[in-house]
Amino acid sequence: MIDSIGITLVAFGVLLVLLFIRMPAGLAMLIVGAAGVILIRPTAAVPVVAGEIFAVASRYPLTILPLFILMGNLAVVSGMSQDIYQAAHTWFGRFRGSLAAASIVACAGFSALSGSSLAAAMTMGRVSLPEMKRYKYDDSLATGAIAAGGTLGILIPPSAGLVIYGIITEESIGRLFMAGVIPGILLTFLFVFIVWLVVRLSPHKAPRVKTSIPWRENLRITARAFWVLCIVIVTIGGIYAGIFSAVEAAGVGALLTLIVALGRRRLNRKTLTETVHATLKASGTAFLVLLGAFVFKVFLGFTGIAFVASEWVAEQGFSGAQIAAIVLLMFVVLGTFLDGFAMLVLTVPLVQPILESLGVDMIWFGIMIVITLEMGLISPPVGLNIFVVKGVAPEVPVHKMFRGIIPFWLAMGLALILIALMPSLATLLPNAMYG
Amino acid sequence: MRIFENHISRIMRAEKYCRVPIAGFGVVGGIALTVLLGVTVAEVFWRYVLNDSLIWAEDLSTMSLTVVVSAAIAYGAGEGAHVCMNLIARIWGRPITKVTDVIARLLGVGVTAMAAFALFVHGSCGLSCGAVTSSVSIPHPPFYFVLGVSLVVYGLLLVSQAALGLASWNSEDPNEPPE
Repeated sequence: MIDSIGITLVAFGVLLVLLFIRMPAGLAMLIVGAAGVILIRPTAAVPVVAGEIFAVASRYPLTILPLFILMGNLAVVSGMSQDIYQAAHTWFGRFRGSLAAASIVACAGFSALSGSSLAAAMTMGRVSLPEMKRYKYDDSLATGAIAAGGTLGILIPPSAGLVIYGIITEESIGRLFMAGVIPGILLTFLFVFIVWLVVRLSPHKAPRVKTSIPWRENLRITARAFWVLCIVIVTIGGIYAGIFSAVEAAGVGALLTLIVALGRRRLNRKTLTETVHATLKASGTAFLVLLGAFVFKVFLGFTGIAFVASEWVAEQGFSGAQIAAIVLLMFVVLGTFLDGFAMLVLTVPLVQPILESLGVDMIWFGIMIVITLEMGLISPPVGLNIFVVKGVAPEVPVHKMFRGIIPFWLAMGLALILIALMPSLATLLPNAMYG
Repeated sequence: MRIFENHISRIMRAEKYCRVPIAGFGVVGGIALTVLLGVTVAEVFWRYVLNDSLIWAEDLSTMSLTVVVSAAIAYGAGEGAHVCMNLIARIWGRPITKVTDVIARLLGVGVTAMAAFALFVHGSCGLSCGAVTSSVSIPHPPFYFVLGVSLVVYGLLLVSQAALGLASWNSEDPNEPPE
């Protein structure tokens, strides 16, 4: 017993050191996992390392990842990201703070085409920040809205975070996607409410935009975003109606986005190459982490730590809710300095057996954990979305961005509390669909 | 470090050569991605329009995915896309990261070499280990090898980057991880 705890603690310690010296997270987990397997069962090292790498690289449900990433990249090339923003702007145009609110709604819309928070923040940042600058929006509100809105990318389906969580926990990805819909909409509303609140308390942060768009133009802009709605209905609606599996929805969604891009004559040799390369780059990032995580997971299995931890938790008499709260709190803290995906793949294999033995619904927990990952994406000092937005608005100091983020971060906390109090917010749709 | 500094142009050339197979993986990955998309869509088309199923679709999808993953890992390495925690640079800066980067890269070389070795050894087992897809018996070994080659390319890139880091000991590292 002491041995397994000791080995695990040393392994996590070494892992943190490797991460700290800037070793890529996937390689760090691979090295610790492989070394651990060699120490515990030397003869199993080659089959485990090769077998796990091949198993991840050839896992059918994971075909979702490159296909949805491709769909998101094609949506950018086709100009659909701009369409969503412009449509949202025409809907919110009359209100003070409309540009920030439109950015958030556009981020939510783009998130339904792309599973990446960083892509959502970067794309919408490029589209909406210049507009907000033009109308003299306060930098902290403008950048905060984009960085926070971008985080919706890993909650609203298709979500890369939920795919990875589903693969690690062996939960249905379709169920997880459905579970992300209501919390995603809830969080979007909360973010828009935050914009309204901030602007109400400090009106100078968002001067009124005096633009009057003729209704015919309004209709034209809205109609242009119709394609986005169609694709979302076909993919997410297709999963909900049981017409497509999540993998098939990813393929059909990518095809439809490709057709729109071709129809708009946005695809040429250069943009196509850029799209493919961006897809490979993002897929490579996710898959290297997964390869390392699965070898590390086998090592954790060999140590028997999950069993020891489950027994200890049972002896202490903790309830499922208490352990889930502790884990989520730990995620909020770890999220301030660890990459979200790395954190997810590192810790979930360890806590899953404990939570399952205490009867925690792993679909509900997946949504909760993804929201905490979102909080990590905008938490100092390594909030990735902040640095993505910084790349788009280099003149805005980081501390100002973090100041603008605080109300949105609190809104995420509120969303967590709401979903904890009303788990049906996450479980209603998957239960209605799958029973 | 002098020896590396004196050969910086050669090291840079070596790093450039490492990027040739990475560019190749960029092309191969694009083709595999197209196949993956095509097969997924074809499967839906066959089922709903032709009322039939493609028994080879899942096998072909998974093997295409293996090629996409191999290409993506090598290509991501070349683009500096792999996630790393960049806290140390903000705390201590280049005087410390120039040492730790070399250590991290050399450890990376070790683990990519070990993983590639495991893939080549395990993949060589081939048909005698029953390593084929379940529906249309596509043999696994070539795909183990593609994954192995991808990791070898990544390892070679790390070697050249470690050498370049040593050659740039008193200046900025050209392969500084992005923020």
